[in-house]
Amino acid sequence: MAKLENQVEHAGDVRQDSTVKKAVNAILPFVSIIILVLIWFIASGYNSRILPSPVAVIQRIGKLLVTPLSGSTLFGHAGISLLRVFISLFFALLLGIPMGILIGWNRTFSATVGTIFELIRPIPSLAWIPLIIVWFGIGELPKIIMVFMAALMPVVVNSYTAIKLLPPLYLDVGRMFNASTDGELLRNVVLPASLPTIFAGVRNATSVGWMVVLAAEMLAAKSGLGFLINRGMESFDVPLIMTGMVLIGVVGALLALATNLIERRLCPWNRGIVSE
Amino acid sequence: MEQGNRVRVSINNLSKTFYSNAGEAINVVNGISFDVYNNEFLVILGPGRCGKTILLNMITGLQKPDSGEVSIDGRVVTGVAPEMGMVFQKLGLMPWLTIMENVEFGPKMRGVSKKERREKAAHFLDLVGLTGFENHYPYQLSGGMKQRVGIARAYANDAQILVMDEPFGQLDAQTRYNMQMEIVSIAEKERRTIIFVTNNIEEAIKVGDRIILFTKCPAQVKEIYPILMPKPRDEISREFLNIRSEISDNTDLAL
Repeated sequence: MAKLENQVEHAGDVRQDSTVKKAVNAILPFVSIIILVLIWFIASGYNSRILPSPVAVIQRIGKLLVTPLSGSTLFGHAGISLLRVFISLFFALLLGIPMGILIGWNRTFSATVGTIFELIRPIPSLAWIPLIIVWFGIGELPKIIMVFMAALMPVVVNSYTAIKLLPPLYLDVGRMFNASTDGELLRNVVLPASLPTIFAGVRNATSVGWMVVLAAEMLAAKSGLGFLINRGMESFDVPLIMTGMVLIGVVGALLALATNLIERRLCPWNRGIVSE
Repeated sequence: MEQGNRVRVSINNLSKTFYSNAGEAINVVNGISFDVYNNEFLVILGPGRCGKTILLNMITGLQKPDSGEVSIDGRVVTGVAPEMGMVFQKLGLMPWLTIMENVEFGPKMRGVSKKERREKAAHFLDLVGLTGFENHYPYQLSGGMKQRVGIARAYANDAQILVMDEPFGQLDAQTRYNMQMEIVSIAEKERRTIIFVTNNIEEAIKVGDRIILFTKCPAQVKEIYPILMPKPRDEISREFLNIRSEISDNTDLAL
């Protein structure tokens, strides 16, 4: 969502649109949403058992907001899913950023840990789920581990890529201006220069983590948005399935928005360089 | 010359050879020697890609020579000497730092107190005409303004010897012309020893107290021209044009 906004901003920079055109462009997103809902409405008239109307879904959301299901209301389930992602993300950053930096900075580390990492990396995070369940069962820990594994990869990859791609000129400048030791260069040149790329990894890790937590919850859980969807399927409660989906979309968009805001705070200079 | 010709930097028989992937030796700098006098504005004039940047990297200590040595005040230096400052051809401003933070980077790394380094940075930002832009980021500045920041940064680091590697090479003609006038006036106000590299004859004659003309690759000293005209120099005066044709007749390539 935020990405789309960005593109619109940039397009506006290039072309000078007239006021009428601008107003039309501002209304268009809402028009398209209204049309989608209308089509949904009409389609649900044919078979509301497998495609409940928007009203039914809204009613289901309303009910779940006040009546707990499996011990939690709707926000409770969303909160649990988010908490799992945040815990996993915390450990993924704690381990992944230093690990990526070491792989990028130190040849020996790159040849050893980096090689092993390159071997494991192509395995999609979802493929880890069965093995993790075999090893750790179906409690809280295996879910955290699954999301952690998924979030770790983009963090490590971006951290070491950032350091590998660092223009050597910055190191020359650092040394020319009295940053003489490796530690000083790392703190004052390498890290700040890499921050935007590292943070892009964090952003990816957040969105991948949000996907994997839902997959993990759909396999085995008693709480979380993934569980809601699964419960909806098992009890043929289609409005519940769609409730879960709507919330997953909303929370995912909010997460993207939040990471974008944090990035702007953290790297205010970055807006002028990359327009991703 | 008024400085009494005290030798500040002595470059002695520097050479550097690189090896291509095919194992072929490329001799980039071949036994270069020259002296730089205290507080002079020395210009190194040579064609593009003739090893000037490598030579400068060896003078500043960023790269090790294969043979030969650089001495400052008679003392042989290895590595980056604290007396040295550099204005980079490709600017090398830190995009994550504000203009103020860029200029005070050198003193900060040396552990100078915040108040002191801010004052110093403000002084040199004023000298290059960038007061009011302290809190901007480099991406918000034009090419000419960025290179001014590079110059202020080198001065603020208390460098007694300033190496400038084609500092105006990436500027448009008009900005370049203005910056040439400006660097002359800055150099008059704050006396330092300057080694200024360019591939532009007019620029060399406009700013230099002395011009060292290089051959094409591998770089060697071809001729040294003292320029005694008072500054600022008139580009269409007879004297200027005479020196200009004398130098251009002596160059290997169209510079």
